[in-house]
Amino acid sequence: MTSSHWLIIFTLAVAALSIRVIGLFAGSKVRASKHAWVLEELPGLIVVSLIATSLSGQSAQMWMAAAVALGVAITTNHVIATMCLGVGAFGGLSLIMG
Amino acid sequence: MSATVHAGSSQIVAVEQFANASTVLGAAFAGAALNLRYIGIVASLSDVLAGLSLRAKLVAIHITGDENWALTMSERAKSKDIGASFLIGSGLVMICVWTVSTASGALVGTVLPDLERFGLGFAFTAAFIAMARGLWRGRPSILPWTVAFGLAITMVYLGLPKAYTIVASALCGLLASHLVRQIRSASQ
Repeated sequence: MTSSHWLIIFTLAVAALSIRVIGLFAGSKVRASKHAWVLEELPGLIVVSLIATSLSGQSAQMWMAAAVALGVAITTNHVIATMCLGVGAFGGLSLIMG
Repeated sequence: MSATVHAGSSQIVAVEQFANASTVLGAAFAGAALNLRYIGIVASLSDVLAGLSLRAKLVAIHITGDENWALTMSERAKSKDIGASFLIGSGLVMICVWTVSTASGALVGTVLPDLERFGLGFAFTAAFIAMARGLWRGRPSILPWTVAFGLAITMVYLGLPKAYTIVASALCGLLASHLVRQIRSASQ
Protein backbone atom coordinates (compact mmCIF):
# COMPACT_ATOMS: atom_id res chain seq x y z
CA MET A 1 0.00 0.00 0.00
CA THR A 2 1.44 3.36 -1.05
CA SER A 3 0.58 6.78 0.39
CA SER A 4 -1.61 7.38 -2.71
CA HIS A 5 -3.68 4.31 -1.86
CA TRP A 6 -4.25 5.53 1.69
CA LEU A 7 -5.04 9.03 0.40
CA ILE A 8 -7.72 7.79 -2.00
CA ILE A 9 -9.33 5.67 0.74
CA PHE A 10 -9.38 8.65 3.10
CA THR A 11 -10.68 11.09 0.44
CA LEU A 12 -13.42 8.72 -0.72
CA ALA A 13 -14.44 7.94 2.87
CA VAL A 14 -14.78 11.66 3.65
CA ALA A 15 -16.73 12.26 0.42
CA ALA A 16 -19.06 9.30 1.04
CA LEU A 17 -19.82 10.39 4.60
CA SER A 18 -20.30 14.02 3.49
CA ILE A 19 -22.94 12.97 0.98
CA ARG A 20 -24.76 11.03 3.70
CA VAL A 21 -24.55 14.02 6.08
CA ILE A 22 -26.06 16.27 3.37
CA GLY A 23 -28.93 13.76 3.19
CA LEU A 24 -29.31 13.84 6.96
CA PHE A 25 -29.72 17.60 7.07
CA ALA A 26 -31.81 17.71 3.88
CA GLY A 27 -34.15 15.12 5.41
CA SER A 28 -34.64 17.20 8.57
CA LYS A 29 -35.40 20.31 6.51
CA VAL A 30 -37.83 18.53 4.19
CA ARG A 31 -39.57 16.73 7.07
CA ALA A 32 -40.37 20.08 8.67
CA SER A 33 -41.64 21.60 5.42
CA LYS A 34 -44.84 21.29 3.38
CA HIS A 35 -42.96 18.88 1.10
CA ALA A 36 -42.70 16.15 3.76
CA TRP A 37 -44.63 13.84 1.40
CA VAL A 38 -41.40 13.55 -0.63
CA LEU A 39 -39.85 11.46 2.17
CA GLU A 40 -42.77 9.01 1.99
CA GLU A 41 -42.50 8.61 -1.77
CA LEU A 42 -38.70 8.48 -2.16
CA PRO A 43 -38.02 4.95 -0.81
CA GLY A 44 -40.37 3.23 -3.25
CA LEU A 45 -39.11 5.29 -6.18
CA ILE A 46 -35.44 4.61 -5.41
CA VAL A 47 -36.10 0.87 -4.97
CA VAL A 48 -38.05 0.72 -8.26
CA SER A 49 -35.21 2.57 -9.99
CA LEU A 50 -32.65 0.14 -8.53
CA ILE A 51 -34.68 -2.81 -9.85
CA ALA A 52 -35.08 -1.23 -13.29
CA THR A 53 -31.37 -0.49 -13.64
CA SER A 54 -30.47 -4.07 -12.70
CA LEU A 55 -32.96 -5.49 -15.25
CA SER A 56 -32.35 -3.13 -18.18
CA GLY A 57 -30.56 -4.83 -21.05
CA GLN A 58 -30.56 -8.23 -19.30
CA SER A 59 -31.51 -11.61 -20.75
CA ALA A 60 -35.05 -12.92 -21.19
CA GLN A 61 -34.41 -15.47 -18.46
CA MET A 62 -33.64 -12.71 -15.97
CA TRP A 63 -36.86 -10.88 -16.88
CA MET A 64 -38.83 -14.12 -16.51
CA ALA A 65 -37.18 -14.83 -13.15
CA ALA A 66 -38.05 -11.26 -12.12
CA ALA A 67 -41.67 -11.92 -13.09
CA VAL A 68 -41.64 -15.06 -10.92
CA ALA A 69 -40.10 -13.08 -8.04
CA LEU A 70 -42.76 -10.39 -8.45
CA GLY A 71 -45.49 -13.02 -8.34
CA VAL A 72 -44.02 -14.52 -5.16
CA ALA A 73 -43.61 -11.05 -3.61
CA ILE A 74 -47.22 -10.12 -4.35
CA THR A 75 -48.47 -13.45 -2.98
CA THR A 76 -46.27 -13.78 0.11
CA ASN A 77 -44.94 -10.24 0.82
CA HIS A 78 -41.88 -12.07 2.21
CA VAL A 79 -38.29 -11.11 1.35
CA ILE A 80 -36.58 -14.47 1.97
CA ALA A 81 -39.25 -16.47 0.12
CA THR A 82 -39.02 -14.09 -2.83
CA MET A 83 -35.22 -14.32 -2.93
CA CYS A 84 -35.15 -18.13 -2.68
CA LEU A 85 -37.86 -18.75 -5.27
CA GLY A 86 -36.56 -15.98 -7.54
CA VAL A 87 -33.01 -17.35 -7.54
CA GLY A 88 -34.42 -20.87 -7.95
CA ALA A 89 -36.41 -19.72 -10.98
CA PHE A 90 -33.33 -18.02 -12.43
CA GLY A 91 -31.27 -21.19 -11.96
CA GLY A 92 -34.02 -23.39 -13.41
CA LEU A 93 -34.45 -21.14 -16.43
CA SER A 94 -30.67 -21.11 -16.96
CA LEU A 95 -30.69 -24.91 -17.11
CA ILE A 96 -33.65 -25.00 -19.52
CA MET A 97 -32.58 -22.13 -21.78
CA GLY A 98 -28.86 -22.84 -21.62
CA MET B 1 -11.72 0.78 2.21
CA SER B 2 -14.86 -1.33 2.56
CA ALA B 3 -15.18 -0.45 6.24
CA THR B 4 -14.51 3.28 5.90
CA VAL B 5 -16.26 4.03 2.58
CA HIS B 6 -18.98 1.32 2.68
CA ALA B 7 -20.30 1.98 -0.83
CA GLY B 8 -19.76 -0.85 -3.34
CA SER B 9 -20.16 0.83 -6.71
CA SER B 10 -18.20 3.91 -5.56
CA GLN B 11 -15.29 1.76 -4.40
CA ILE B 12 -15.16 -0.19 -7.66
CA VAL B 13 -15.27 2.95 -9.82
CA ALA B 14 -12.71 4.80 -7.70
CA VAL B 15 -10.28 1.87 -7.88
CA GLU B 16 -10.80 1.50 -11.63
CA GLN B 17 -10.28 5.24 -12.20
CA PHE B 18 -7.19 5.24 -10.03
CA ALA B 19 -5.75 2.21 -11.84
CA ASN B 20 -6.28 3.92 -15.21
CA ALA B 21 -5.45 7.56 -14.48
CA SER B 22 -3.61 7.42 -11.12
CA THR B 23 -5.08 10.71 -9.92
CA VAL B 24 -6.40 10.57 -6.38
CA LEU B 25 -8.86 13.47 -6.63
CA GLY B 26 -10.30 12.37 -9.97
CA ALA B 27 -10.83 8.83 -8.72
CA ALA B 28 -12.39 10.00 -5.46
CA PHE B 29 -14.71 12.42 -7.30
CA ALA B 30 -15.83 9.72 -9.75
CA GLY B 31 -16.53 7.35 -6.87
CA ALA B 32 -18.32 9.93 -4.76
CA ALA B 33 -20.55 11.08 -7.64
CA LEU B 34 -21.92 7.54 -7.88
CA ASN B 35 -23.13 7.85 -4.31
CA LEU B 36 -25.44 10.82 -4.85
CA ARG B 37 -28.55 8.68 -4.38
CA TYR B 38 -27.57 8.50 -0.70
CA ILE B 39 -28.78 12.07 -0.28
CA GLY B 40 -32.30 10.79 -0.96
CA ILE B 41 -31.79 7.51 0.90
CA VAL B 42 -30.55 9.18 4.09
CA ALA B 43 -33.12 11.99 3.79
CA SER B 44 -35.88 9.37 3.75
CA LEU B 45 -34.53 8.04 7.08
CA SER B 46 -35.28 11.34 8.78
CA ASP B 47 -38.27 9.93 10.68
CA VAL B 48 -36.45 6.69 11.59
CA LEU B 49 -33.45 8.55 13.01
CA ALA B 50 -35.43 11.21 14.89
CA GLY B 51 -34.57 11.17 18.58
CA LEU B 52 -31.07 9.71 18.20
CA SER B 53 -27.98 11.68 19.21
CA LEU B 54 -25.89 13.22 16.41
CA ARG B 55 -23.15 10.64 17.04
CA ALA B 56 -25.62 7.76 16.74
CA LYS B 57 -27.07 9.30 13.58
CA LEU B 58 -23.60 9.54 12.01
CA VAL B 59 -22.88 5.88 12.83
CA ALA B 60 -26.30 4.84 11.51
CA ILE B 61 -25.94 6.66 8.18
CA HIS B 62 -22.42 5.32 7.68
CA ILE B 63 -23.51 1.70 8.08
CA THR B 64 -26.60 2.22 5.93
CA GLY B 65 -26.43 0.49 2.54
CA ASP B 66 -29.01 0.02 -0.21
CA GLU B 67 -30.09 -3.36 1.11
CA ASN B 68 -30.58 -2.70 4.82
CA TRP B 69 -32.13 0.70 4.08
CA ALA B 70 -34.68 -0.82 1.69
CA LEU B 71 -35.38 -3.66 4.11
CA THR B 72 -35.91 -1.21 6.97
CA MET B 73 -38.29 0.98 4.94
CA SER B 74 -40.15 -2.07 3.63
CA GLU B 75 -40.61 -3.57 7.10
CA ARG B 76 -41.48 -0.15 8.56
CA ALA B 77 -44.28 0.13 6.02
CA LYS B 78 -45.75 -3.01 7.61
CA SER B 79 -45.09 -2.03 11.24
CA LYS B 80 -44.16 1.33 12.75
CA ASP B 81 -42.31 -0.58 15.52
CA ILE B 82 -39.49 -1.05 13.02
CA GLY B 83 -37.09 1.85 13.52
CA ALA B 84 -33.53 2.88 14.29
CA SER B 85 -32.64 -0.37 16.11
CA PHE B 86 -33.58 -2.43 13.04
CA LEU B 87 -31.64 -0.09 10.74
CA ILE B 88 -28.52 -0.09 12.93
CA GLY B 89 -28.62 -3.85 13.61
CA SER B 90 -29.02 -4.74 9.95
CA GLY B 91 -26.42 -2.12 9.02
CA LEU B 92 -23.84 -3.66 11.38
CA VAL B 93 -24.45 -7.07 9.81
CA MET B 94 -24.17 -5.51 6.33
CA ILE B 95 -20.89 -3.68 6.92
CA CYS B 96 -19.30 -6.74 8.60
CA VAL B 97 -20.35 -9.08 5.78
CA TRP B 98 -19.31 -6.52 3.14
CA THR B 99 -15.88 -5.95 4.68
CA VAL B 100 -15.11 -9.63 5.30
CA SER B 101 -16.40 -10.77 1.89
CA THR B 102 -14.56 -8.07 -0.08
CA ALA B 103 -11.34 -8.86 1.81
CA SER B 104 -11.88 -12.58 1.12
CA GLY B 105 -12.61 -11.80 -2.52
CA ALA B 106 -9.35 -9.89 -2.81
CA LEU B 107 -7.48 -12.89 -1.40
CA VAL B 108 -9.16 -15.85 -3.12
CA GLY B 109 -11.55 -14.32 -5.69
CA THR B 110 -9.52 -15.39 -8.70
CA VAL B 111 -9.83 -19.10 -7.87
CA LEU B 112 -13.62 -19.05 -7.41
CA PRO B 113 -15.97 -20.07 -10.25
CA ASP B 114 -18.29 -17.50 -11.87
CA LEU B 115 -20.95 -17.16 -9.15
CA GLU B 116 -23.26 -15.21 -11.51
CA ARG B 117 -23.90 -18.53 -13.26
CA PHE B 118 -25.69 -19.78 -10.13
CA GLY B 119 -28.01 -16.76 -9.99
CA LEU B 120 -26.35 -15.09 -6.99
CA GLY B 121 -26.41 -11.73 -8.78
CA PHE B 122 -30.14 -12.08 -9.28
CA ALA B 123 -30.66 -12.49 -5.52
CA PHE B 124 -30.06 -8.72 -5.23
CA THR B 125 -32.81 -7.96 -7.76
CA ALA B 126 -35.22 -10.48 -6.19
CA ALA B 127 -34.66 -8.96 -2.74
CA PHE B 128 -35.45 -5.47 -4.02
CA ILE B 129 -38.58 -6.74 -5.79
CA ALA B 130 -39.77 -8.11 -2.44
CA MET B 131 -38.94 -4.83 -0.71
CA ALA B 132 -40.78 -2.85 -3.40
CA ARG B 133 -43.85 -4.97 -2.62
CA GLY B 134 -43.65 -3.78 0.98
CA LEU B 135 -43.41 -0.13 -0.12
CA TRP B 136 -46.33 -0.31 -2.58
CA ARG B 137 -49.01 2.21 -1.59
CA GLY B 138 -51.75 1.20 -3.99
CA ARG B 139 -53.18 3.24 -6.84
CA PRO B 140 -51.30 6.49 -6.06
CA SER B 141 -48.04 4.60 -6.70
CA ILE B 142 -48.97 3.44 -10.21
CA LEU B 143 -47.98 6.52 -12.23
CA PRO B 144 -44.85 7.56 -10.26
CA TRP B 145 -43.49 4.00 -10.19
CA THR B 146 -44.23 3.49 -13.88
CA VAL B 147 -42.45 6.74 -14.74
CA ALA B 148 -39.40 5.86 -12.60
CA PHE B 149 -39.22 2.27 -13.88
CA GLY B 150 -39.70 3.17 -17.55
CA LEU B 151 -37.24 6.05 -17.44
CA ALA B 152 -34.58 3.98 -15.67
CA ILE B 153 -34.91 1.13 -18.18
CA THR B 154 -34.66 3.61 -21.09
CA MET B 155 -31.71 5.57 -19.68
CA VAL B 156 -29.63 2.45 -18.98
CA TYR B 157 -30.57 1.09 -22.41
CA LEU B 158 -29.25 4.35 -23.92
CA GLY B 159 -25.95 3.79 -22.14
CA LEU B 160 -26.23 6.27 -19.26
CA PRO B 161 -24.46 5.30 -16.01
CA LYS B 162 -26.73 3.41 -13.61
CA ALA B 163 -25.89 5.57 -10.60
CA TYR B 164 -27.09 8.78 -12.28
CA THR B 165 -30.05 6.96 -13.79
CA ILE B 166 -31.28 5.98 -10.31
CA VAL B 167 -31.17 9.60 -9.13
CA ALA B 168 -32.80 11.01 -12.29
CA SER B 169 -35.59 8.44 -12.49
CA ALA B 170 -36.43 8.76 -8.78
CA LEU B 171 -36.65 12.55 -9.19
CA CYS B 172 -38.94 12.21 -12.23
CA GLY B 173 -41.05 9.76 -10.23
CA LEU B 174 -41.35 12.42 -7.53
CA LEU B 175 -42.59 14.93 -10.14
CA ALA B 176 -45.19 12.40 -11.27
CA SER B 177 -46.19 11.84 -7.66
CA HIS B 178 -46.60 15.60 -7.19
CA LEU B 179 -48.82 15.65 -10.27
CA VAL B 180 -50.97 12.81 -8.91
CA ARG B 181 -51.36 14.66 -5.61
CA GLN B 182 -52.36 17.89 -7.39
CA ILE B 183 -54.98 16.07 -9.46
CA ARG B 184 -56.37 14.25 -6.40
CA SER B 185 -56.60 17.44 -4.33
CA ALA B 186 -58.23 19.32 -7.23
CA SER B 187 -60.87 16.61 -7.65
CA GLN B 188 -61.79 16.63 -3.92
